[in-house]
Amino acid sequence: MHPFDYYKPKDFDEAFAMLTQPGKKVIPLAGSTDIIPMVRDERWLPDAVVDIKGLPGLRDIKLVDSGPLCCAGQTAQCLYIGAAARMNEIAHSELVQQYASVLAQAAQEVGHEQVRNRATLGGNMGTASPAGDTLSALLVLEADVLVKGKDEERCIPALKFFLGPRKTALQPGEIILGVQVPPLPEGTLGRYLRISRRKGADLAIVGLSVMAIPAEGGYQWRIGLGAVAPTPIRVPEAETILATGHDEATVEKAIQATLAAARPIDDIRATAAYRREMVVQLTRRALQDIIAQIP
Amino acid sequence: MLHEITLNVNGELHIVPVKSHHTLLTVLREQLGITSPKRGCENGECGACTVLYDGKPVNSCMVLAVEAEGHVIETVESLAKNGELHPLQKSFIEHNAVQCGFCTPGMLMSAKGLLAENPHPTEEEIKHALAGNLCRCTGYVRIIDAIKDVADHS
Ligand SMILES: Cc1cc2nc3c(=O)[nH]c(=O)nc-3n(C[C@H](O)[C@H](O)[C@H](O)COP(=O)(O)OP(=O)(O)OC[C@H]3O[C@@H](n4cnc5c(N)ncnc54)[C@H](O)[C@@H]3O)c2cc1C
Ligand code: FES
Ligand code: FES
Repeated sequence: MHPFDYYKPKDFDEAFAMLTQPGKKVIPLAGSTDIIPMVRDERWLPDAVVDIKGLPGLRDIKLVDSGPLCCAGQTAQCLYIGAAARMNEIAHSELVQQYASVLAQAAQEVGHEQVRNRATLGGNMGTASPAGDTLSALLVLEADVLVKGKDEERCIPALKFFLGPRKTALQPGEIILGVQVPPLPEGTLGRYLRISRRKGADLAIVGLSVMAIPAEGGYQWRIGLGAVAPTPIRVPEAETILATGHDEATVEKAIQATLAAARPIDDIRATAAYRREMVVQLTRRALQDIIAQIP
Repeated sequence: MLHEITLNVNGELHIVPVKSHHTLLTVLREQLGITSPKRGCENGECGACTVLYDGKPVNSCMVLAVEAEGHVIETVESLAKNGELHPLQKSFIEHNAVQCGFCTPGMLMSAKGLLAENPHPTEEEIKHALAGNLCRCTGYVRIIDAIKDVADHS
């Protein structure tokens, strides 16, 4: 494997000093489940990695009050998930299951047991693969991403965080501290579904996050898709259709609108045509699952 | 970059110089001579290199050795006590759950991690826990039976 240096900072100041060494390519390291394969295949060639997962607060999963940056203006508490929380910690967390069920389900679908014991949320977001399982879940939760650089912290809505394959809104030297999920009304329903070649060690062919949020006697719907466009996407057309009701004919229209929003490509995992077919199947299945739970 | 670290493997402390970019799998096999973790895919996909890391199964090919300092690592070498095989090992033998044996150390460590967390798993839970462990020989049925047997009789 291509050699690189490894640093373990004792605090944020040290971390940012290491991450911003002039003339060197230095990247944060969390669970290393993307970094090791990528460096071995010589697709990423860092001079050094900075192990950020021991920094204060990075593994917390807790409720927090509204802040000046993220979760601003909320009257109820937000769910904070540290960037270095592992997929298994997220999937098994009662707080995440209660406040962000769709994300707990997505984390449970990542890789297999050994990967989920290492892979982190921040790493999934940092890699920003269009197929990353947690990304469409963050979009439908309308989570905020709290990031920190040498000089300041800022808050980026998840909807503006993913810019392209492996491209995020992070500036050089910035790291993700965590995400904050705004409070949702009681009775909110969420479902994450995906199709993959091997259940256990492969990325999604299509990933789908759906939420139904009680609103004025009906439901407001959110739909997010992964692996069918350069970034995870929301499908506002289908969401608007479902806001009028969820009888069979309306659901079919919403499925067609979701299909129309998908712009998949052929790759080693599946053809574009197969992906389109799976968008239809998954959307139908997820909507039916949620509708069956509506009281 | 070279780091002088102390690794806690199977209850023994080893002081070893490790390179930043070397994986735990490489250091276990090539520097400590602990060869039960197998080098299969080196891509996180086959599970042959599975070890317990603070009690939880991880792929040792997906961990940098340098960051394992301060953590507790267990491999198959720790299973037998005073010459007596671990119940999982005995059950694998009784159920003929081994053919070439290449996957077996990883299977055993995944199974140990599962039973520590969930002593009486269902068959579905066993399959789920082994989803990251490939076996090209046995067809899995005997492996699942062997684990189920231990779970049912503990
Ligand atoms: C066998 C196998 C199966 C997999 N299956 C899946 C799957 O089903 N679904 C899926 O989505 N992924 C899957 N993956 C990919 C990978 O496990 C995930 O993307 C994982 O979440 C990456 O997290 P990590 O902590 O290991 O990241 P790392 O490898 O440590 O880092 C990944 C990237 O994110 C950056 N980064 C890490 N933390 C931060 C931070 N806090 N701030 C800024 N940047 C950061 C790093 O610099 C790097 O660029 C799989 C990988 C393997 C090996
Ligand atoms: S060698 Fe580590 S998972 Fe295959
Ligand atoms: S016994 Fe040969 S790979 Fe499992």
